[in-house]
Amino acid sequence: MTMETETINRQPRKRTGLLILIILIVTFIIYYSIMSLMSPGRTLARISNEYILKQDEKTRIDEKIFSDSAYLKKLKEKAFLQSRIALAESDSIYLTINLTDSTANLEIYGVVVHAAKITNLKMSSILSKGNEYIISSLLSSPFTIAESISTIKKDPLMLKMAPKDTSEYKPDIMPDTTITEPVNYILEMTNGTRIFVYQEENSKPGESMNQFSFDLKDKLRNTISSLKSVAVFKVPEYHPYIKLSIPRADAKIIYRAIPRNGQIAIFR
Amino acid sequence: MLWTDKLSDMEDDKIINNGSQPSGPLPEGTQPGIEKTQFETETVSNEGAIEETTSFFKKLRENKKVYKPLRFFFYVFVSLATLFLLFMFIVYLVPVFREMTSGQKTEITNDPDLQKTPAYKKQISLLTKDIQRLSRKYNAYSTGESYIVINTTDNKFFLYKNKKLIREGSCSTGSYKKLLTAEGKSWTFKTPRGKFSIQAKRTNPAWHRPDWSFIEEGVPIPPKDSPLRWEAGVLGDYAMDLGDSYMIHGTIYKRFLGMPVTHGCVRLNDEDLEVVFHTLNVGSKVYIY
Repeated sequence: MTMETETINRQPRKRTGLLILIILIVTFIIYYSIMSLMSPGRTLARISNEYILKQDEKTRIDEKIFSDSAYLKKLKEKAFLQSRIALAESDSIYLTINLTDSTANLEIYGVVVHAAKITNLKMSSILSKGNEYIISSLLSSPFTIAESISTIKKDPLMLKMAPKDTSEYKPDIMPDTTITEPVNYILEMTNGTRIFVYQEENSKPGESMNQFSFDLKDKLRNTISSLKSVAVFKVPEYHPYIKLSIPRADAKIIYRAIPRNGQIAIFR
Repeated sequence: MLWTDKLSDMEDDKIINNGSQPSGPLPEGTQPGIEKTQFETETVSNEGAIEETTSFFKKLRENKKVYKPLRFFFYVFVSLATLFLLFMFIVYLVPVFREMTSGQKTEITNDPDLQKTPAYKKQISLLTKDIQRLSRKYNAYSTGESYIVINTTDNKFFLYKNKKLIREGSCSTGSYKKLLTAEGKSWTFKTPRGKFSIQAKRTNPAWHRPDWSFIEEGVPIPPKDSPLRWEAGVLGDYAMDLGDSYMIHGTIYKRFLGMPVTHGCVRLNDEDLEVVFHTLNVGSKVYIY
């Protein structure tokens, strides 16, 4: 009799517990979604504050000019040239990405040493639809790489212990240059922008799987970071992105050539 | 039409049919007034199916051996499906929604009245002047002098004269081997990247072997001024110094051309080396990436 009463009492408790759990999960999802949706606005506001046109009384210009295509074209051209000159003066290897021509060039001191064709391009709405003047101003100075995540090594070092005498000496074997590893990487810029470079070739199942798992790992990293921010009632960080697909050989060359804290100029 | 509307229509049909005689002759064995309508038949068959299902579940519930593991699997499936949906929502859908909410495209108006104003014309002229000045500055970086570009990833070289590619081919660059000794010394054999210039040109060069070349073979290191350090014929007919002991030179290991096998120098085959040697001068630029 008591056993039956306990079972009867346990049922509604279980249900209440389940209901509370569902309510909590739904509330958290709504809260997380709202906080996440707020993040691009915050980033846009930060960029706008940094690059907005500051007018003074003497040189005041009509803001209607920023919706004139001829003016905007020239403004973008100037911004890209400024950026490239700043890079050429740095005397290092740098990357220029021309989104209009779909080209990614490696340059050293103003000389194009390697050109790659961008076959697929996608970018975040902040960069593609953002205020033209503000985005042009953002692009007028080069982006600096803070960190990179890649499926290939930057310096493919091989360790070799020196032989103690001639009896231990073994001549080097011929390196196997036929091995082709998938090349996908993310260049994280100091200003928060992220440049994704994917290899164009994805015909083999292993290659597309590698790209999928590479992307998934990055999404998980971002989600964990967003969840951490949301847990302390902070709006998560939003990173504007540019995603490029280029031939594998070119992607590998660019990644190996560009310095760890290398710089990039972008023309949109 | 909603299924409830359909249901009520069917009910109406039933009432009409019950209240009036059928117009045509009745099939054999049927009596007027007690004919079953389609709705009634469907309801009966539905009720039967419900009953069957209920009794099946009743039986299943009574059979504890089957019911318990089934219930367990059902709960596990529902939990996993919920977790999967949550994961997909947070990881994939939230970023998609976030992209949809961000950005507001600048509306291009190309106002003709504005374009006529002196302020507009002044701004365009200022920008044009800036672009011309910056273009001149940028173009000055690439001169018409001869230069060579070396790609260390693909082990290829490109020779330019008057901004035109005049020769390209295979070369060998640094192997990326790190040689370690028991004493803790180390050397990394990689070709440096960046802008260099030819500092000296030599014909029939001899190689002054550095310490690592002896250590690598397990041979005792001779003194710095020992004649054992000098080796002739291994660098080909020409060598061009790039500084810090790095050179562009020939090779006796031609089968390794196109591969990363050197200690940091750039190796070319005899024909390419001759063209490069005669095209580049002391001071010519060497771009390595």
